[in-house]
Amino acid sequence: MNETTSYDAIVVGSGMTGGWAAKELTEKGLKTLVLEAGRPIVPEQDYVEHVPPWEKKFRGLGDRRRQLEDQPIQSTCYACDEWSSKFFISDKEHPYTTAPGKPFRWIRGRQVGGRSIMWGRQSYRWSDLDFEANLRDGIAIDWPIRYADIAPWYDYVEDFVGISGEALGLPQLPDSKFLPPMEMNCAEKTVRGALAKHFSGERVLTIGRVAILTQQHRGRAACHYCGPCERGCITRSYFSSVNATLPAAEKTGRMTLRPYSVVHSVMFDAHTRRASGVRIIDAQTRSTLEFRAKVVFLCASALESVRILFNSSTPEFSTGLANSSGELGHNLMDHVKAGGADGIIPGNDDRIVLGRRPNGIYVPRFRNVKTRQPEFLRGYGFQGEGYREGWERGVAQTGFGPGFKKSISQPGPWRFTFYGFGECLSNHNNFVELDKQTVDAWGIPSLKIHCSWSDNELALRKDMSIAAAEMLAAAGAHDIQPFADEEPPGFSIHEMGTARMGRDAKTSVLNSYNQAHDVKNLFITDGGAMVSSSCVNPSLTYMALTARACDYAVQQLKKGEL
Amino acid sequence: MERREALRLLATGTALQLAPRNFLAALREARKLLDTKAAPRTLNAQQFVTVKTIAELILPRTDTPGATDVGVTEFIDLMLTEWYDDRDRSRFLHGLADVDARTQALFGENFAEASTAQQSEILIALGGRMAGNAGRMRDPREDSDSLPDANFYRMLRRLTLTAYYTSEAGATQELHFEIIPDSHDQCAALLTTKGSPEIE
Repeated sequence: MNETTSYDAIVVGSGMTGGWAAKELTEKGLKTLVLEAGRPIVPEQDYVEHVPPWEKKFRGLGDRRRQLEDQPIQSTCYACDEWSSKFFISDKEHPYTTAPGKPFRWIRGRQVGGRSIMWGRQSYRWSDLDFEANLRDGIAIDWPIRYADIAPWYDYVEDFVGISGEALGLPQLPDSKFLPPMEMNCAEKTVRGALAKHFSGERVLTIGRVAILTQQHRGRAACHYCGPCERGCITRSYFSSVNATLPAAEKTGRMTLRPYSVVHSVMFDAHTRRASGVRIIDAQTRSTLEFRAKVVFLCASALESVRILFNSSTPEFSTGLANSSGELGHNLMDHVKAGGADGIIPGNDDRIVLGRRPNGIYVPRFRNVKTRQPEFLRGYGFQGEGYREGWERGVAQTGFGPGFKKSISQPGPWRFTFYGFGECLSNHNNFVELDKQTVDAWGIPSLKIHCSWSDNELALRKDMSIAAAEMLAAAGAHDIQPFADEEPPGFSIHEMGTARMGRDAKTSVLNSYNQAHDVKNLFITDGGAMVSSSCVNPSLTYMALTARACDYAVQQLKKGEL
Repeated sequence: MERREALRLLATGTALQLAPRNFLAALREARKLLDTKAAPRTLNAQQFVTVKTIAELILPRTDTPGATDVGVTEFIDLMLTEWYDDRDRSRFLHGLADVDARTQALFGENFAEASTAQQSEILIALGGRMAGNAGRMRDPREDSDSLPDANFYRMLRRLTLTAYYTSEAGATQELHFEIIPDSHDQCAALLTTKGSPEIE
């Protein structure tokens, strides 16, 4: 039987934003084809969060030789372990290059669900401190939207996703529509109290705001605290497209989800000046196929969506489809991290944590909020957690025998770690280009990435270590160890900015509704759209922008404007 | 088929779901694997007994199983065979030879044949040297990623503790690990409850 090749809408990618586009477009009545480059995921077979370490050959240490061979880049990510490495790409099949002296870690997942399966789940709203930042500082271009434009869409997606957290009423970190917060442990409560006492409301510690259910929500069960979310979740308690948006899209009966569909390019009709559809390579048969639609949503991630547009060049758009501005692929950002501190929090020796809470704490941005910091622009937030040391501490100890065995199976001292996530400034010179010499396993040209931290990001990282140590000192910690490690961009896995929004088609790729200035029926709603990076985790904002863009696209389609 | 798979096959009756002919073949293969208990592939007999003796000294059988009971030495042999590179394997084997050389020099015996008191003296010396060249650790959990260790004894300790506490007996009997925790409480009293710790 011949496959249907014509749809109302095509969504490229089935991860965080592709799942939302699929849900919104199908629920609004569009027959939608969702193209996913990787394999299908069947939670009952593929999720492995309840497989104990004694059933893993290397007990969680990973198959080192295979990883060095096949996943030397991916395996540097904490989540790419002996259980979850199957959710990360093969670096051999998906090569990319970087400019000399400018390493970039590109961490990818290609399967239905994309990286929403192994994401960090931290979910924070942006504020006008973020949306007005570029205008205020004279950096890059201004955002074409403000908090008021996106706030109803945060409400909308949060109602579906389920975000647990604590309302604080802070202007720089607006509250979400929260489910009840997860509980803080003893060390965290100690540090929270110390911050309240010593930083007069400027620095506040709260439980992480996280897309994990603390109560039953829209047919999904509350978290059971087994711990390793990045391995999947059979109770669907954390949000992913597989757990939530794709089933909703499926329910409409209007979604066709096509795995093993590696999108090569978007086809452009020069007469209508519209995207006519997409060209794919079937990953299993290797044949080239074409699918047509009235509207195309690129949700393949900031770098992959841009790569597709580079590979879609036409005589008119010789440097990439929808690139009349020349900004496509430029202004690549990621969050700067690897700065913070840890220490030992005395006391609470008779207290212990039961269960493995898949969430930490958060300290909202406090730099350049009320007061000006002369050393740098913008700021950072801290993630972190308190925990009791486990048996691992016994490795470095010299004891042995029955007494040692008994002592090491008891919990060790309470430790506390803060690690910052800092804003990255938009910079035209951080960019990607097509590398025609480097092709992936399907012969599609890959990217060469040119990206490095500026002095501002390095100053933020240094300040993270100082501020984190100050907070630990205020909490009476000892053995405080500040750190500010070298770490290349990419590793926060928050890459964004490569197809930015803007009011002016000369300086931006997308308008304020994620619609390409040059190609009216082409939308990009992944991280590519971001104009600045804020310091908070971006996924919630991508989701809100995607839902908003879908609403706009369907309205425009009905008006005959696309 | 892996030994662990074989055990599971026999234990869970998964094999019953297979077609009769496959079932018999699977059962035969599983039995064979368990009977032979896969011979070490990197450690020779003397090295094997040395590792086994040290591991059991570090984590002996008490009211809970010890290192030998949970197969620590077999795991270390697997790691040396399939995980470490040549340099690290050779560092480990050299370290092991040095243990025997030290014991010979002091007591005129190989380590495994020395008395428990003599073995303890050697371990104390190895521990002293390890502590002497240990850099300060930042986060003990992060450190578990920074394999391999430069110091032989530290490498052996890490392997021993990892194999033990990630084994079913070590995790469940010593640490009271539950895959799906009975309950969750961020500030529970230590004495009246059992933990549900991180084990990897």
